[in-house]
This record gives sequence, C-alpha cells and structure tokens, in this order.
Amino acid sequence: MMTTMLLGTARMFISAFLGTLGFALLLHAPRRAWLPASVIGAMAYALYWVLEQAGLGMPASIFIGALAGSMLAQGCARKMRMIATIFITLSIVAMVPGLGLYRCIALLAQGENAAGVRTGVQAMTTIVMIALGLGVGSFLFRAVMGMRHSVRRPADQEGR
Amino acid sequence: MKDDSRYMAPLQLAGRLIMECGGETYRVEETITRMGRAFGLKDVESFAVPSGIFISYRGQDGDLQTAVKRVRRSGTDLTRVDEVNAVSRQVEAEGLSCEDAMARLEEIARRKPLISQRMLVVAAAVSSGGWAMLFGGQGWDFACGVAVGALVQLLPQLLSRFHMQALVSTLLGSFVAALLPMAFHHLTGLGTVDVIVAGTLMPMLPGLAMTNAVQDTMRGDMVSGLSHGVSAVLTAVLVAGGALMAASLFSLLTGGAAL
Repeated sequence: MMTTMLLGTARMFISAFLGTLGFALLLHAPRRAWLPASVIGAMAYALYWVLEQAGLGMPASIFIGALAGSMLAQGCARKMRMIATIFITLSIVAMVPGLGLYRCIALLAQGENAAGVRTGVQAMTTIVMIALGLGVGSFLFRAVMGMRHSVRRPADQEGR
Repeated sequence: MKDDSRYMAPLQLAGRLIMECGGETYRVEETITRMGRAFGLKDVESFAVPSGIFISYRGQDGDLQTAVKRVRRSGTDLTRVDEVNAVSRQVEAEGLSCEDAMARLEEIARRKPLISQRMLVVAAAVSSGGWAMLFGGQGWDFACGVAVGALVQLLPQLLSRFHMQALVSTLLGSFVAALLPMAFHHLTGLGTVDVIVAGTLMPMLPGLAMTNAVQDTMRGDMVSGLSHGVSAVLTAVLVAGGALMAASLFSLLTGGAAL
C-alpha cells in the first residue's frame, strides 16, 4: 500500500509539474521562475492529493495545499527578488477546478440540473478554499517574517 | 517650474501595463500610489477596475490633476508585470526620475513577448499532456493530449489574419479540443476520451480567473471581483458550449459517444 501511495504521489507530482511548466510559459512568466514555480506547483498539488487519499476530505486538503503553496511561493519570490504573483499563481494552477466549472455548465446545458448544481457547488467550494488558503498563507508568511525581524533586533542593539 | 501634469503619463502607463498583463487590481493601485509619492506628489489616489484606471494627485503647485485611462486589452504576461514592479521599486528606492521611468515603461510596453508563438505551442502541448496524466490518463492519453493541445494553440495563430475576437477563438478552440480526441478514439480505439478532452481544455478553462475574482472580492475590490467573475463564467460557458457542439456533431455523424 505504501508503494502504491508513493508511486501515485510521484505520478501526481510529475503530471502537475508538466502541467504547471506549460502554464508558466503560457502566462509568460520570467524564464528563471519556470523551474522553481513548477516545482512549487507540483509540491502543492502532491500534498493536496496525499491528504485527500489519506481521507482528510477535499476542502481541507485543498486549503492546506494552497496554504503550503502560498508560503513556499512567497519565500521563493523573496529569495529570487521577483513579485510573489508569479509563484503564487503557478502554485495553485493545478488545483483550480477549471474542469469542475466546465462540467457544471455542460451538465446544466444537458438538462441534468441536480448533477450540474452539485458539480458547480463543489467547484465553488474548491475556489473559496484555494482563496482562503492563499490568504492565510500570506498572513502566516508575513507573521513569520515579522517574528524573524523582531528576534534579530535585540542582537543589533547589543552590537551598538 | 516644471509642469506637474507630466507625472500623469508614467503613472497611467505603469497602471495600464499591470492591468493589461493580468496583474492584480490592488497591485495597480499600490504601484500608482507609491510611484506618485516617490515623485513628490501629494494626495495620490487611484481607483482601478479591469476596464479602466482613475488617477488623481496634487502637484507641487497645489493644483489637482485627474485623468482616466481606458484599459482595452487583456491577457497575461507576468514578466511585464514584474518589470513594471521593478521600475516602481527603482523610482521609490533609487529616485529614478519621471522621464527615465517613462522611458523604461515605454520600452517594456514596446518589446516583443518573451515567449515566441512556437514556444507557446510547445507549452500548450506539454501542459495538455501533463493534465491528461493528472486526470488518470495513460501513455496514449498523454500523446493525444500533447498533439491536440498543440493544434488548439496553433489554431488562433493560423486564424489571426481574420482578426477573430478572443471569445470566438475560445469557442472554436474548445470545439476542436473535444472533437479531435473523439475522432482519434473512434478511429483507433485507443485512449480515454474524457481524460484527453479534460487535459486539452485545461489551458482554456477560467479556473484561475475565477480564483482571482474571489481573491479580489475578499480584498474588497468588489467591482474587479465581479467583473473577473462574470468574465470567467462567460469563458466557462463558451468552452462548455464548444465541447457540447463537438459532442453533438460527433454523435450525429457516428451515432456514437457522448462527452
């Protein structure tokens, strides 16, 4: 079972990496961001997939995946001195329910209203969870950076 | 004494470039405000929506300058957003002059896109194949996803001489993205139609736009949020419409598979 899980995770990671890399080019991201952003996107998706497989449930798994992706993205942006938008956008691109939105519209157009509404609600839940994950991730990142700066200040003062 | 109205041009250009290239609404407003203050202007205010930017400031002479800039194009170019942000940082941190900032912004606006049309086709192909695998596809699903993804990206480039609107292009693209995998499976018996179609539709689907719309709304940019949300829903409707048309046509021609 562990082997199946590991193989599944690896497959999800590679697939999400390829998808995100393609998106990085389609969104005209800066060249030196392609690889790190794709790795972050793949890691965020793999984390979401593992948590969902472990039984956590889709909304919570998506939230944690987006939160982790957001924090990694902002750390990477700061390190590479680029805008966080590049990395944050690509960290969630594999998780956004574009397919869910499409299926919702398609089902409604075919007259399958109950299934269409159900799919639409699921898609919107995913979108809201991603947005919340990004928001909380941003807040936590700033809090951690703020704590690091305040920890450094006493040492600076001692040096004067 | 220099005319304070000269500061409006770089502020407008910076805001317009960020908005046109898919930057967030708050980034447009923040960039304009920061640059304006760095130029020594007072009471710098900006209000941005996807279709336009309103800017006002008070110059050294105390006169209020106000302007509106219509934003007509939309797309995504994260490199340009990053470059405009860099110019804004230089204005703030290094005191880059108004004229130099304007020259740099004009250069950013003028230059060719970073990724060539050919590379975009490769990117769409790789992306579509990857998504097909993500949705549970196997070897043939990946291969077909790559081929169809490339064709779908090539289509608007080939038809660009007809000056098609983006929405028509989306409809046509989703039609082709759904029809070709069905035809491939029908002729060869290989691949899983659902998975390949899902993979090739992914680059067109507005999941990201919808997520940005929710984020804008959560930040308090209600007008932007609503505007991006409506645009995302419209795109989803067009993509679904194109795919459903393809399924209906295929069913009519073969008496075969539904989507």
